[in-house]
Formats: sequence, structure tokens, C-alpha cells
Amino acid sequence: MKALTPFGAALAILALSELTGCRGDSDGLDLPKTAKVLHLASVADVPSLDPAVGYDTSSWGFEQMIFDTLVRYSDAGVDLVPDLATQWEIAPDAKSLTFHLRRDASFTNGRAVVSGDFKYAIERVLTPSVRSKGTEYFRSIVGAEDFVAGRAKEVTGIENPDAWTIIFRLTEPDPIFVQKLAMPFAAAVPREAVDQWGNDDFSRHVIGSGPFTLKEWRSGERIVLVRNPHYFDPSWPRLDAIVQLIGVDLDLEWLKFETGELDVSAIPPAEFLRVMKTPKLKALAEHIVTLSTDYLGMNCQMKPFDDVRVRRAFNLAIRKDKASAILNGRAVPAVGILPPGLPGYDPNIDGYPYDPTKAKALLEAAGVGRDFAPTLWMRADQTEMTLGESIQQDLAEVGVHAVLKPLAWSSLLEAIRQPNTADLFSLGWEADFPDPQNFLEVLFAKKQFGANNDTFYSNPQVEKLLAEAAPVSDLSRRYQLYDQAQKLIMQDAPWVVLYHPVSYVIRQPWVHDYILNPMRPTRLERVWISAREGEQQTR
Amino acid sequence: MNGKTNLMELCGAIMIGLLAVIAIAAPLFAPYDPTRAVAASFGDPQGPSHAFLLGSDELGRDVLSRIIWGARISLIIGIAAMLVTLTIGVTIGLMSGFFGGTIDFCLMRVTDMMLAFPTLLLAMAFVTVLRPSLSTILLVIGLVSWTSIARVVRAETLSLSQRDFVRAAQALGAPSSRLIARHILPNALPIIVVMAALGTSGTLLLDAGLSFLGLGVPPPTPSWGRMIEEARIYFRTAPWLALFPGLAILYAVLGFNLLGYGYLRRRGRNTSVTMR
Amino acid sequence: MIAYILRRFAIGVGVLIGISLITFLIAFAVPADPAIAVAGAKADPKTLAEIRAQLGLDQPLYRQYLRYMHRIAHGDLGRSYVRRESVTSLIAQRFPATAILAISATVCSLALGILMGLVSAARRDRLLDHTMLFISLGFVSMPVFWLGTILLIAAAFWLRALPLGGFGDWRALILPTITLTLSSAGYYSRILHTNLTEALSQDYVRTARGKGLSPIRIVVKHALANAMLPLLTLAGLDLAGLLSGVVLTETVFNWPGIGRLAYEAVFNLDIPLIMGTVLFGALLVVIANIVVDLLYAWIDPRIRLGESA
Repeated sequence: MKALTPFGAALAILALSELTGCRGDSDGLDLPKTAKVLHLASVADVPSLDPAVGYDTSSWGFEQMIFDTLVRYSDAGVDLVPDLATQWEIAPDAKSLTFHLRRDASFTNGRAVVSGDFKYAIERVLTPSVRSKGTEYFRSIVGAEDFVAGRAKEVTGIENPDAWTIIFRLTEPDPIFVQKLAMPFAAAVPREAVDQWGNDDFSRHVIGSGPFTLKEWRSGERIVLVRNPHYFDPSWPRLDAIVQLIGVDLDLEWLKFETGELDVSAIPPAEFLRVMKTPKLKALAEHIVTLSTDYLGMNCQMKPFDDVRVRRAFNLAIRKDKASAILNGRAVPAVGILPPGLPGYDPNIDGYPYDPTKAKALLEAAGVGRDFAPTLWMRADQTEMTLGESIQQDLAEVGVHAVLKPLAWSSLLEAIRQPNTADLFSLGWEADFPDPQNFLEVLFAKKQFGANNDTFYSNPQVEKLLAEAAPVSDLSRRYQLYDQAQKLIMQDAPWVVLYHPVSYVIRQPWVHDYILNPMRPTRLERVWISAREGEQQTR
Repeated sequence: MNGKTNLMELCGAIMIGLLAVIAIAAPLFAPYDPTRAVAASFGDPQGPSHAFLLGSDELGRDVLSRIIWGARISLIIGIAAMLVTLTIGVTIGLMSGFFGGTIDFCLMRVTDMMLAFPTLLLAMAFVTVLRPSLSTILLVIGLVSWTSIARVVRAETLSLSQRDFVRAAQALGAPSSRLIARHILPNALPIIVVMAALGTSGTLLLDAGLSFLGLGVPPPTPSWGRMIEEARIYFRTAPWLALFPGLAILYAVLGFNLLGYGYLRRRGRNTSVTMR
Repeated sequence: MIAYILRRFAIGVGVLIGISLITFLIAFAVPADPAIAVAGAKADPKTLAEIRAQLGLDQPLYRQYLRYMHRIAHGDLGRSYVRRESVTSLIAQRFPATAILAISATVCSLALGILMGLVSAARRDRLLDHTMLFISLGFVSMPVFWLGTILLIAAAFWLRALPLGGFGDWRALILPTITLTLSSAGYYSRILHTNLTEALSQDYVRTARGKGLSPIRIVVKHALANAMLPLLTLAGLDLAGLLSGVVLTETVFNWPGIGRLAYEAVFNLDIPLIMGTVLFGALLVVIANIVVDLLYAWIDPRIRLGESA
């Protein structure tokens, strides 16, 4: 016991210093006291700031602040607006696109942004050693496959006739190719910076042309962006700096928000009900219906789901309003496959009503006995489990006894892509581009067996419609064709559509113009801060 | 001293007996079907009321019925897993203690390995690999819990082997199997019985822990540990949801602990035999 | 003595190798493609194949194992599939949180346990003894995650000052420590109580009492030292166990420690991270065991000379 005392004291000091850290009044940055700083927090560290590598919400949120693309989405919507391209033309055959760049944009190392920087960026994404997840989006450019295979030293389909023009030539008509250029994968990247740091370290030393630059990134601690004084539009950003604390999980984030330390926060599930019941807090909560659909997929090749009557029965047996209620309003019940807000969405589509009697009748007609026990494959997380149990309840009412099979994310994906493995599964799909093709073709076309068509659904009529719609540039005709396809698919019922998730955040009263966008993280250059008025009381 | 410590054993036995009765006669005691939505409280659990004595949960199910039916699963897993543990642990302990030498060395190294493994992680890894079901769970729990029983039985076997009656039988040329079965095992039985009781309390807690982490018996079978996990996000608006299942676990585990420790006390053994 | 130490080390290494083999087999027995964990949900089959080749996942199992062990020998635990950081740095990041919790919990458990044990043994009051026993048994019979949740609820409603989870400042440490302390103190108090009562009934203590020494002095000077040793060694082993991560408590309080890291690794089938955390935990336990064994050997010459442990 004696030996413990000095040891114990040393340990106590270590522990206290570890825990308290240095919490001075300033953020430890060289900023004037009146600086407008936005404080955020996240659980996980930002995976990467390299636009070729980072492919998740967290990385994209920062990449879109540090880099610029040719085009981008508007603040609150899914329409494309100019970013570094002032104007562009898409050929009527949808096989080539021409972009004209603005001349006053420059990287933070002083050099002007030219068309070659975009070609370089996309070639980087197509380079195998970079292991980019964006490779598949650009394979349709002429010469891309040769470049990936190493047979060519450049992608011939990207042309730079001069420093301010860039032309893309595609192997097949693709009216939504322009959407792919709004992804950070296609952001302008300065070659000399990558050469200096190497592909692996570029993420830590990014140089871009966007409204913010990276000032500091202490792994696991925090990441700091400061305003870029050389940004081509001097009226943005309206913040001086953004500080994101890392390793702060949801409950701690909420705590810090309550004490005013953070300016924006997600709402932990445990607090959600309370926030919605408190008018003062509810007024500060922003929400948006995401462009995603959560659904139950049924494998059309496995008995008894190969019988359309069984699939329709499931659609009639499951209560969608219950799912949304369980999520306390963080979801909107789904009627069709496409989410509201997606261009091409049909508000008049007929879904399936809740009709357990009819469901039972259909099951009987299909010869499904009382011993039917399908396995519901799903991701192993709390919300999914609760929803799974809710579905079990609904199915039990019509005599079906579903067995839940929660799996790790990667196991689940692996399993559902194998034919004849998962008969019933719970999944969600989020739009990559605001176009129905991104749902209907990717999820229901025959050529996507083993990739994203996990229900192994195939209907020749639908195939015809999908093939017909893909190259169409006339939007109203395009959406009309896809709508016909959607209706056919709904009739064939390979899915039970459940809900469209709603995303919530809460902001402090002094934070303004924090605008949620359905396709992308919020554009922080629009946010501004007014003078604080006392501490936020939320307990 | 005897009177008071008998009380412990008696208490434990009564508690377990009551639990067994409730478990067996669950359909009689439970007012509702534990898996069906019988209350309109989706996403908003309601507190104890006239219709639902312990409240209703986020999927409209009656908490009381779920706890009553949960007793069944808990007892089945607790006892079955304990039997697996007992079989493995006693076998290893007997062989190790009796034969000594290389066998003892090897078996003890295997025991060391099991002990060095973070138990819960090992159980999690197994359950993730295999499909979570009733049989998998009790097998896995049984597989990771045998080390303490093995050690205790080994120590007991060692000390018994040195006793005169065993030495005598050995000198007379009795085969090992006979020695173990007829002389050692019966004398080690009291301690094995105690370990069985304490072992069940251990398996119950391990099962609760696994269920809490989402790796227990899959839904819709009610499981106390998972009920606590599901109640976590409602801890502000419906704190009782987490309270009742935990009390149930406490009751069951305490019952077995009282039985085991009470028996130990009555026999005059010291109570520092740990189950960890 | 040297031979004994070397033997212990050799056994320790053997145990670690055995554990690495078992973990490796379990990790690869899972029917899932680790490439998906790296590439993400929407990767096309071509990209997945490329990643598989890059990570060497298409090689036979024994080769992968040997490759892995070779790298461990050089201190490289590989890179997490999901987080892309090196496993070593991830463990190093999360270890301090677990360490702080484990150490504070062990210190408090020992303190409380010793206090309870002393009180019930020294006073010889039947009622007190039984009350202590009942309380100890009660806390030991509680699932630790439930105890933590109840404390959390109590804090949310009554003790507004305490943070409800997360790793903020020293106040965040209070609730998880209390949870772990209440769970373990019962064991320690019973062990101490038993050993003390035994020690107190020994002849030399009777002699001391006959000489007229006060009961407290007797307890502290003679009985305590003997009774404490098994307690401290048990606490040491427990500490090692705690250091490999208390998954349940860390989950309840959102404590960013190794336990939680390992749990996420198992769930994401992040094989390098699973291997890393399991081996790390095992290493701690093996080291603790060696230390304890050496301690006992040093104190008790019988063990050194014969092999009866």
C-alpha cells in the first residue's frame, strides 16, 4: 500500500491533465477576438481530404469547402449551378460536353486554375494505385478503360484545347454525366502539390481553390479550416474559420451544444422526443427529407418470392406508418420507389395500402403455408433491429414468422449479392445523382445482378424502358419513361418500400443560413454568425 | 451460525423455485402475447397503467408479459450453458489434477489461453461467425466460461488424490478411470454442485451482456438483456423501461448466488471461491 | 530462479501465439468479403477484385497468417480496413481512455472493498456481517450495464451536474467509475473478510491478543499483510482484464476506449483491428500473470524450488 501513494499521485496528475487538456478561451488559433468561428463536432475523424479518396459525408463536407468543381448543386436544391465553369454545353447526342472556365480562380499556392487541373484530377481517380472509389463513374469517358488498364498514359477522351476549355467525350450517350462532375472526385487538383506530398500524404496537405483552406488537422483531436482570402468570389465565405472537434460522440456533442460550446449539432435519439416536445428547441431544429429510400428487398429468384402474389402480400401486410412512428418522425412513409425531391418523382403513384386480409388471401392463393419462415437479413444496428421487430410483428399477423438475421455491413452486402442466398433483406439506397436512373437502372436492371440489383429482378418490358430512357436528354420525356418503368416495377413488387429518412440538425440561435441540401452536406460558406445573446438553456 | 446461513440457501432456493414456476407456466401468468403490439405506443413508451402493469414499450408490447416470458429463455440458457461449462470444466479439472505431468501442463496452458482472451470479445466473435440462435448462444457461453470450474476442480482433485483412501486404492492396482469415477468424483461433488449454482449466475450475466450488445437470442423472443438495450434511448422519457428487466436479472442471478454461497457457508468452506 | 523466469516467459509467448492463431482462424471463418469493408457499399466487382489483390486476401490462409506474424514481429499490426489508420495508432489513441477508467475503477474498488472487508471482519457484529454480505452479493449479482444505466438515469433526473457520457472532463469519469466500483468492491470485500477472519483465528494472533495488544493493531500489523496479498494479486489480474477493455461499461457511457473499439471491429469484420485488439488485451493479461507469478515465487520459496503452482 505504501508504494501506491507516489505512484497513485503521479497517475492522478496524468489522468487529470489528460482529461482537462488545455481549454483556453481562444481556440488556440491566431484569430482576432471578433472572428466568426463555427464550432462543430464529429465522432470519427475525417477519413480523408483527398478528393480522389474521401467518399463519405464527412469527407465530402470538407472537400467541397476546400476544392472547387466545374459545377455544383445550388444551396438548397438539386439543380446544377456554375462553380468554376461559367457555362457549359451538352451535345444533343449526350456524348460530349464542353465547359468554359472562369479565369479568376486560383489555388492557394497562387497558381491559376486551368483546364488541365480537371483532367489531372479525373486521371488520378482512374489511377488504380490511388484506389479511388470514384473510378466507376468515369469509366464511360473515351480512353478511360485503356488508361486504367495501363495501356495508355492519358485519358484521350478529356480534351483541353486551351487553358480555359475542357471537353469530355463519352463512349455512349450519358445525359447525367454532368452530375458526376459535381462530385468532389472531379474537383480541380494542383498536380505540383500531389507530386510534392505523394498520393498517400496529399490528404494531410491539401491545396485547393475553394472558399476555405486547411489550417490545422490534429488527428483524433480537431480539424480547422480558415477562410481563403484568394477565393474567386470575395463576398464568400462569411465565416472566418470552422473548427470541428473530433472524437466527440453524439451524447457529448449534445452536451457541448447545450452549453453553447458547439454551434450546430445532431440530435441524439434519446433527446429527440424531448426536443420535439419543447417549442423553443423545436424552432431551432432544421430538417430535410433525404433523397433515399429504405426498403425490404425480396429475392425474385428464391421461392416463394418468385411468385408475385407473395411479394404483393408482403406489401399489403406491412404497416409503413408504424415504421415512421417508431422513428419518431425521422422518416416519411414511402409510397413509391423514388423519394420526394428527386427530379422525376411522381406524387400520384399508387402504393400499396395496409390490408392484412387481402395479404392473407394472396398468401393462401400462392400456396404459402403457415410454416413459412423467411430470414430477414439486415444490418446489425439498433434502429434496424427495432424496425426488424416491427416487421416481424406485422408479418406475424398474417401468419408469416420472419427470423431476423443481423449482420455486419460488409457481410450483409456480400450475402445479398450472391444469388440464392438472402431471400428477404432490409436495405436503403441513397441517390448519387438527382435522376431516376440512379435508382431504377442501378437497382432493377438485369446487368446489375451481383452488383446492386440484389433482388435479382428482371422484367423485359422494364429493361426496354430503361434502355430507352437512358440516353434521353429531354427531361420531361426522360422522366415520363422512367415513371412508366417505376409503375411496372411497383406492380411486380420486388420491394416493400418503407420510408424515406429525414435528417435533423439543431443550431444555436446565433447561427444563420445553415441550409440543408438533399444531395450534399451543407455549404458552410453560406453560414453566418450573429452576436450571441447569453447562454442557451436546453436542459 | 447454521441457522442464519441456512437462510441464505433457503432464500436462494425459494427464489429460483419461484422463477422456475413462472418460467414454466409463462402462458398462464402473462396477460398478453409478448411479441404482439397490444398498446398504441409506437416510438413513445408508456408507463405503468391499469391495462399494462409495467408499461408498454416502443413497439406497443406489454413489458410485464415480456419479462415473464423472458424468464423462460433466461433459465434455459443459464442452465444449459452451465451444463456445457460443467462438462468441459469438470473433465479438464479431473484429468489435469489426477494425471498431472504433461497432461496437466498442456491443459493448464489451454486454460491460460482461454483466460487471456477477453471473454466477452471471444463470445462476440463466435456468435458473429455462427448464426445467433438459442443453441449457438448457449454453446458459446458454455465454451467461454469453463476456466474457473476447471481450476477449482483441479485443485480439489489434487488434494483428494493425495488422500490416503485414494493412495490405498491406487496401490491395490485400481485403474485410473475407476479411481476417478468412484473415489474422486463423488468426493468432489459438493464443490461441483456449488460451482454449478455459481456457474449459472455467471452464465446468466454473460447472456445478459451478450443480449445487451445485440448478440443474444434473436427477436422476437423476449430477452431481458436486450430489453435493457432497447430501453437505453428512452432513458429520458421512459426510464422505467430499463428498470424492470434489470430487476429481473438481478433477481435470478441473486437467487443462484444465494444458493451457491449459502451452501458453501453451510459446509464451512471459505467464501473466497470466485467465479471470475 | 532465472530458469523459472525464462520458463514463464516462454509459456507466455506460447499462449500469445496460440491466441493469435485462434483469432486468425475465427476472423477468417466469417463468410464475408473484407474487401467490401475497405471499398464501401457501392463498389463494383472490378474494384473489389483489385482491392482483394492489393491486400493479399486471395492468398492461401496459412500464407496470410505467416505474413501477419512476420509483420507483428516488426511491430506492425497492419491497417484497419474501415478506418484506414494503422491499428497500432488506433489502439494507442483509445488506450488512455480505458486506462484511466480501469485504474480509477481498480483503485476505488480496492479502497471500498478493503474498507468493507475490514469493517465486517474487525467488528465481529453478526448483523453487520450479514448486511455487508447481502449488499456485496446484491451488487455482484447486478449486470454492470444495468447498474450503469440506472446511475445514468439517476444522474439525468437528480444530479444535473454530471455529464451523461462521453469523454469530456474529469466529471465524466465519475459515473463509469462508480459503476465499476460497485460491481467489483463486493468481491474484494468478501475475499478480504474471509482471509482476515482466517488470519485472525491463527495462533500468533491469539498470542498477540494475550499479550494485550489492541485489536486494531493486531489486525493491521499481523493479519492484514497476509490477507492483502491474494487480494492485491487478484486486483492486478483484474486490472489487466479491465485494461483490455470493459465493453459493457464503455457502451453504456459512450466511453471511447479499447473495449468499444474491439466491439466495433468485430461488428465491421475489420480483421486487422480485431487481431490487434485481441492480441493487445491478451498481452496485458499474460504480462500481468507473469508478474503475479514472479511475485509469488519471490515471496514463497516453495514454489520456486518445486513446481506445484
